[in-house]
Amino acid sequence: MGKYEYLALLAGCVVLTLPLEFVFRARVWRRPRRAARAIVPVVVVFGVWDAVAIALGHWWFNPRFVTGIELPPGLPVEEIAFFVVIPLCGLLTFEAIRNLLARAQARR
Amino acid sequence: MVPAYPLGSVLAAVVVVCLEILWVRTGIFRQRAYWLSMLVVFAFMVPVDGWMSKVPNPIVVYDPDVLSGVRFPIDIPLEEFVYAFAMVTFAILLWERAGRGSHPALAARRT
Repeated sequence: MGKYEYLALLAGCVVLTLPLEFVFRARVWRRPRRAARAIVPVVVVFGVWDAVAIALGHWWFNPRFVTGIELPPGLPVEEIAFFVVIPLCGLLTFEAIRNLLARAQARR
Repeated sequence: MVPAYPLGSVLAAVVVVCLEILWVRTGIFRQRAYWLSMLVVFAFMVPVDGWMSKVPNPIVVYDPDVLSGVRFPIDIPLEEFVYAFAMVTFAILLWERAGRGSHPALAARRT
């Protein structure tokens, strides 16, 4: 995988959580505008924090596992993807569990 | 002095909790689904974050000076769980805020 390892890990998260959308009817992918209103602020806030921390040398990325593509101000493209994928997985989990609990309650 | 990463993570978590309790008030902290989701997120963080921070071949490398020094489980800096709590809670509360009015139960309660 080499330079694509970080991206592959994130892709794995997307693939693994995709069934939540259909099997547990999370309906996050199918409400893209609402999802964007939840995820875009996360990308902005955590992206700024990340850019500052990287600039200060608090953390950095192993060049073996990232593409090296960076967006100004020095944010690896993988980090932007991370701030989209992780909240997306969180929302899918939340909606799936809420549906499961509601269904369990309805059955009672 | 508290190192930067645990300090930043705790601050982020406090800000997000205050945002929910004092301002947005979606009520997620009273929902069992929210707390269960947090547990599931933490459980899946162990393999994913464990992979990202695996010593000696991590994807993300931290300056040891910015860390609390507690790495558990595997090689995950413990403060990552606080960071994840802040990030995922922020996303869920924004999701709830964006969906106001669309939830049948809530809409019914309002009328």
